[in-house]
Amino acid sequence: MTEATADVRADMRAYLQENFLYMHPNVELKDEDDFLAAGIIDSLGFVELVEEVQSRYGLTIEDIEITEENFGSINAIAQFVASKQSS
Amino acid sequence: MSFPSVAEDLSRSAERDPEGVALVVPDREVTFSELDGLVDRAAAGVRESGVQPGDRVGIMFANGVDAVVAIEATLRAGAAIMPINPTAKHDRVSDLLHRSEARALLCDAERAGEATAGVEASGGKAMLFSGIDQLSSDATAPHETPGDDDLGALMHTSGSTGGPKGVMHCHSGLGFVTDSIIDYLGITQEDRVLNLLPLSFGYGLTHLLFCMRTGATLVLEPGVGLPGRILKLLEDQRITGLPGVPTVFQMLLTLRGLADRTFPDLRFLTSAGAALPGPAIEEVRRAFSGAELFVMYGQTECFRTCYLPPDQLDVRPGSVGVPIPGTDTWIEDDEGNPVGHGVVGELIVRGPHVMQGYWRNPRATIERVRQGRRPRERVLASNDLFRTDEEGYLYFVGRRDDIIKSRGEKVPPREVEEVIHLDPAVHEVAVVGVPDRLLGEAVHAHVSAREGSELDPGGLKRLCAEHLEDYMVPQQVVIHDELPRNQNNKIDRLLLSQG
Repeated sequence: MTEATADVRADMRAYLQENFLYMHPNVELKDEDDFLAAGIIDSLGFVELVEEVQSRYGLTIEDIEITEENFGSINAIAQFVASKQSS
Repeated sequence: MSFPSVAEDLSRSAERDPEGVALVVPDREVTFSELDGLVDRAAAGVRESGVQPGDRVGIMFANGVDAVVAIEATLRAGAAIMPINPTAKHDRVSDLLHRSEARALLCDAERAGEATAGVEASGGKAMLFSGIDQLSSDATAPHETPGDDDLGALMHTSGSTGGPKGVMHCHSGLGFVTDSIIDYLGITQEDRVLNLLPLSFGYGLTHLLFCMRTGATLVLEPGVGLPGRILKLLEDQRITGLPGVPTVFQMLLTLRGLADRTFPDLRFLTSAGAALPGPAIEEVRRAFSGAELFVMYGQTECFRTCYLPPDQLDVRPGSVGVPIPGTDTWIEDDEGNPVGHGVVGELIVRGPHVMQGYWRNPRATIERVRQGRRPRERVLASNDLFRTDEEGYLYFVGRRDDIIKSRGEKVPPREVEEVIHLDPAVHEVAVVGVPDRLLGEAVHAHVSAREGSELDPGGLKRLCAEHLEDYMVPQQVVIHDELPRNQNNKIDRLLLSQG
């Protein structure tokens, strides 16, 4: 795990806590947990999440990249952001 | 006049094209003959368990193969499906089982907890099967050929007061509306329809019914999911038809590169559940320029009422079109007299698709349903306000009740208010719908605290999430010292709904 992805993970944990996790006080979200399966974020929540990732990291995200593989968990986002930043 | 039952559609399609693909779910394809076999075994299990023709069977599944098997097996066993939203909590499950006197509840393993608690709270009369595997039997049950007037589906809808009402649809009516939709959308065996909507929702269910009848392929997703996935499915699965509620289309329109894509197989889009605003209609047409957009309107009480032929979109902006094939509509004033063009009144619907009535609720039934001129034809008072143009095309004007439409689903403010009142610190609450681009209307709860008490907006949202379906949970809870009053000293809902 690089330092950069560790930062993204921490950012995302804080963002999710503030915007989504307060609704699920009993859920302890791990970095690999699937947001949709855990019921943490629904499809509309993802619109906000993608917007947040885009503006926070100054990325241009292609439509076809907005999938569970890239946004489905904290780990997925961290890896996606790292790969976008290095490309 | 009678119409072929939907209970026999799957076995007919399996006979005609056994190797044709009936269902595509993530990571799995199911042919018509395979699905027919699964449904046969589950239908035998339903009958062996003691479910009799005409019994109500609760069906509570996330979209997937098992949801389809549960629906088709119940129909094949001659019983009536009673779909329950997969995000329902146990108090709703209990209420629906109790009201409908359901004989059984089928659910998937993920919903076993809420389902078990719901069955227990309702008095334990319904048999619970949490998983299709609990039902499969090697015996072959005779296919039940339901009578035209036998109950095929009990769909629940929300009213302003009095909790959900069970809308009774007979087999003949389900068969009729399926044919009518196939007719105006031109559905054939070649179609591949992407269904993102819950099968528990009348609009979602119609896609299953018309695919089973025509032998078309239903690509079934567990939910709306992420927009990139929808684009990928449209391309990879060569989707020909995409039904959506405005929320789905608004979500797709947030994608910047949408206009640069072409979807060569996509033939039609349908929008229902709530009105898609004019500018969004234009954006959807530009983004999916190769496909025709059908703007539609319907109610649980008749599934589908009208549709606008796509060639009329430019001619009559804002219209929801003409009655679906084989039906009729007109507009009446408060005294029940038909009104002329341009005059606002209540939309009246006539056809074999109109419900038989509300389950065990003769008073509500009399207010809304009367017999038509022909046998098996009923007349429905929609309770919605409409007008027509000079050529008779329909325009939705407004609702007569205070129901909020969010994500295409009905949210009765009173049910949300009752849950918020469970918090003893709440003094007053008013739940209103506020215009929202993605949701159609967002649910906002305005709350004041009892003297000496404090309220936490997050805590109130959690309380709602514990008791209500996901789409009913308020997006915003606003705490006030005192709720605003109007001239009659009532809570000023109009002011609050202006956001």
